[in-house]
Amino acid sequence: MHQPLALQPLAPNDSTDIMAIANNPVLWICVAGVFGVIIIQSVIFMKAARRAAPSVDMSTQDIKTSFRSGAVSAIGPSLAVSLVAIALLGLFGAPAVLSRIGLIGSAAYDVSAAGIAAGSMGAKLGDASYTQSVFAVAFFAMSIGGAMWMLATLILTPLLRKGDAKIRSVNPAAMAIVPAAALIGAFSCLGLTELPKSSIHVLSFVVSAAVMGACLLLAKKLGKSWLREWGLGISIVIGLSAAYLAVGPAVGS
Amino acid sequence: MSSLTSAPATTSTAMADFNRTTSRWGQITMIGGLLISVAGPLYLVFATGLDIGPAQLWIAFAAVAATFGIIWIVEPLTYYPILGPAAMYQAFMIGNISNKLLPAALIAQTNIGAKPGSKRAELAAVVAICGAAVVHLISLAIFVGLLGSWLISVIPPSVLLVTRLYVLPTVLGAVLVQAIVSMKQPRTTVFALLVSAVVVFVVLPLVPSLAMVSTAIAVLGTILLAWFFRGKAAISEAKPIHIE
Repeated sequence: MHQPLALQPLAPNDSTDIMAIANNPVLWICVAGVFGVIIIQSVIFMKAARRAAPSVDMSTQDIKTSFRSGAVSAIGPSLAVSLVAIALLGLFGAPAVLSRIGLIGSAAYDVSAAGIAAGSMGAKLGDASYTQSVFAVAFFAMSIGGAMWMLATLILTPLLRKGDAKIRSVNPAAMAIVPAAALIGAFSCLGLTELPKSSIHVLSFVVSAAVMGACLLLAKKLGKSWLREWGLGISIVIGLSAAYLAVGPAVGS
Repeated sequence: MSSLTSAPATTSTAMADFNRTTSRWGQITMIGGLLISVAGPLYLVFATGLDIGPAQLWIAFAAVAATFGIIWIVEPLTYYPILGPAAMYQAFMIGNISNKLLPAALIAQTNIGAKPGSKRAELAAVVAICGAAVVHLISLAIFVGLLGSWLISVIPPSVLLVTRLYVLPTVLGAVLVQAIVSMKQPRTTVFALLVSAVVVFVVLPLVPSLAMVSTAIAVLGTILLAWFFRGKAAISEAKPIHIE
């Protein structure tokens, strides 16, 4: 138990070397586990669908066509998600990005959850207050958020399958207004919270928002839906480029 | 689920078998995915010597729940009619539903000429999502796992530093615009921006200790205003709310 003092960091939880713990082998094993679970699920569901297919006039060719259509149509969106994920690698590390942004969750919710969690510890993601402890709590918040979605699915799906009238008869006006208000309220508050941090935060935010607006407008005007899929990735890349140009030589010195 | 008035008996037993298998294994795999995904961060928190108490985790959880708790419940509700029971277990584990899985399912149904709502359409959706999952896992492993990790190791530190510092405002700027455009509720948008501006620029500078619950305050405020000042033309249909 007697370790030389030099080997023991004085305050390990104050380290801002996020990548040291973000690439922990156990996290990589968990990523492999999530990949594995999805593969197992897909295999079981494919087999079940193939067994049931003949009874509903679905030929082997139909199954093949469906599988191929799903695969081909997912290429664009998957690459778009990968671009967003790569942009977040520096902040969260590969295992967290793969399991949170790539799978289960999505960039919008998970980045928000991480930001909220960091805020609850009085820290900000990415700057000097972003310690290993903050990363661990932020990663926990993202994961528990995703877990709650799955829990809701696990509880609600069997109820809905039974056709529970009570759940379906929730006031439609409330169902239309409350969730939309919650989402826009959450993202506008999270977005505006970034602004007082520095003028470069303002610049990154405004440029990225403008690029997203342009992407969505062009997608609608020109009927190009790939612009909608790639909007987030394009906005992040252009927003970060603007930030890099604005910071200029000051950075890294 | 058994609205099979004219179908032959074999159809109903085959589909009943499909429903039983997918619901059972859908639940088992989803519980597995849930546990594995939470195990990683819990290991970090409790087994790597970081000084984090359970209280900090509860606070973080409460802060996130206050912001997204409603969405956790509403999303599965609004997607169920589109996805059907079997695909629910796939979609909420694979993620990126509206921008990837729904288009995949719809294209597959069109390509085999399956009527929406029919059993064929249900099976086609499940199979298409399997196809999409394969492509997604491969592209993540190659582009993020391998290429991304390599990229991080070769890009100049200054670029990495800028990315770390400013990726958050770029994500949130784009996502806010996405949310506003996809929800199409101008009145709610105005309330949300007003409430958030008051919280961020007035309340927080006066009472910095509220930072922890600022998003929750903004969410609650926006919901209340949007509800009490909702338009006469009440929206009759709940649409899936999802932003990716």
